[in-house]
Amino acid sequence: MLHFKYLMFLLFGMAAFTASDAQTLSPKADLLLPDYVKLQYAGGIGFMSAGVGYTFIKDRLDVTFFYGYIPAQLHTKTLHSVSLQFTAKLIKIPLSDKYQLLPFNFGWFIHHTMGNEYWIKLPAHYPSQYYWWSPGRTAGFFVGGELKTPWLRSKVPASGIALYARIGTRGLYLATKVGNSTLPVSEIIELGFGIALYR
Amino acid sequence: MLNLKTYAKVHIRRFVIVTAAFGLLAFQACSDLFDYSPYLIDFDESNSNVNQKSIDKLKSKSATDTITIAFTGDTHNFFDELNDFVGKINSDSRIDFVVHVGDIADFGLPKQYLWANSYLSKLKVPYLVAIGNHDLVSNGKDAYEVMFGALDFSFVYQHIRFIFLNTNSREFAFNGQVPDIAWLAERLQPSGDFDKAVIICHVPSGDADFDPNLKNDFYATIGLNKNVIMLAHGHQHHHEVYFPMHDSIPFVNVYGVEHRMATIIKIINNQILIDNVAF
Repeated sequence: MLHFKYLMFLLFGMAAFTASDAQTLSPKADLLLPDYVKLQYAGGIGFMSAGVGYTFIKDRLDVTFFYGYIPAQLHTKTLHSVSLQFTAKLIKIPLSDKYQLLPFNFGWFIHHTMGNEYWIKLPAHYPSQYYWWSPGRTAGFFVGGELKTPWLRSKVPASGIALYARIGTRGLYLATKVGNSTLPVSEIIELGFGIALYR
Repeated sequence: MLNLKTYAKVHIRRFVIVTAAFGLLAFQACSDLFDYSPYLIDFDESNSNVNQKSIDKLKSKSATDTITIAFTGDTHNFFDELNDFVGKINSDSRIDFVVHVGDIADFGLPKQYLWANSYLSKLKVPYLVAIGNHDLVSNGKDAYEVMFGALDFSFVYQHIRFIFLNTNSREFAFNGQVPDIAWLAERLQPSGDFDKAVIICHVPSGDADFDPNLKNDFYATIGLNKNVIMLAHGHQHHHEVYFPMHDSIPFVNVYGVEHRMATIIKIINNQILIDNVAF
């Protein structure tokens, strides 16, 4: 299956990426190297999305840059997008020395879809304020949970694998739902899950 | 007392397995909730080629001397109102078919197309949807073509040719091709299979969103064969019957659905009777 091939390609890419962490690095390079790589399914930012990012505020905030991809088999044509995602990790529960549960992550994202029809600045043939939103740049928010595990620690040069899931919506869906009691809430929900390899 | 930490330490393997199993079950249960993009066009058969299916249903309807059409339009994000419109029309046995005069997807999102059609598809009678300017934003044109079909289309019902014309000139940057005057002229050429014609569009010719360079050609084309009995449009949300061509062809401005008024038009012996019904 084609999707599986892409998935494997991305996974190996991620493994190769983190492999470079294992070598001794100068402090400067160490500072620049991303703190993790992520691979996400769905969540409104792509069929599969590959991300790199950094953590801030004592590992409480993840800032992740994602590239999202939808193959033409799932859509009328291939869709590419990039997004910037902020995840606040509000609660951490150590389950054991090696396992950690993060039951309440809160985040939001900005999502850019590539292509001329997904404009950000209103094209010149419209009067100003003709449409109030930008199809090329949408935003949403989510809550989620994460389980950090030591799995594959001995096989990949990472401290372990984290599994996460998230449930959210986006501004344009919310704007549609407002005032429409007959539109089920489930219609505006975006679910997603993913894995993260931390350094 | 067993706290979560101790419990998890002891049962970590079980915890993970149960979580994974639960996750798999959840995945099965809510696979529809996994959203890839607001622009994903992934319509099933029931959400494809809707206009042609309606035309096919109309062909099998038995002939009467009166055609009764219920008009609404400009749904944008007024789905509760659209729901009530559908309820009202389903309780009215006079209606032959329904026409939506465009703007069913406020942001042009494929998902909004699906939402709007989830209401319209509850209609007991066939329904036809014209293309509106909002429906064309982003990849809305692709979504319309998959769900409803060609942007310009026509069909003959009881010797009247109903012509749905894409008049959203601004969405095509006033390229001189929208509306397609040559296609309209060809559709209005008298032929054996129809006597009169009705034009349905979203943006009216008097609007700033209609290509000003095509306005005169548009009027000339409509008037040429003296066979157009009415033009119905949306976009302006209010109701009005007016005569911009200074002759007998009425232009009917159809209420936006948020006004909770359906415009019911009867065609009897090529004469137009207009009635507005609250819902």
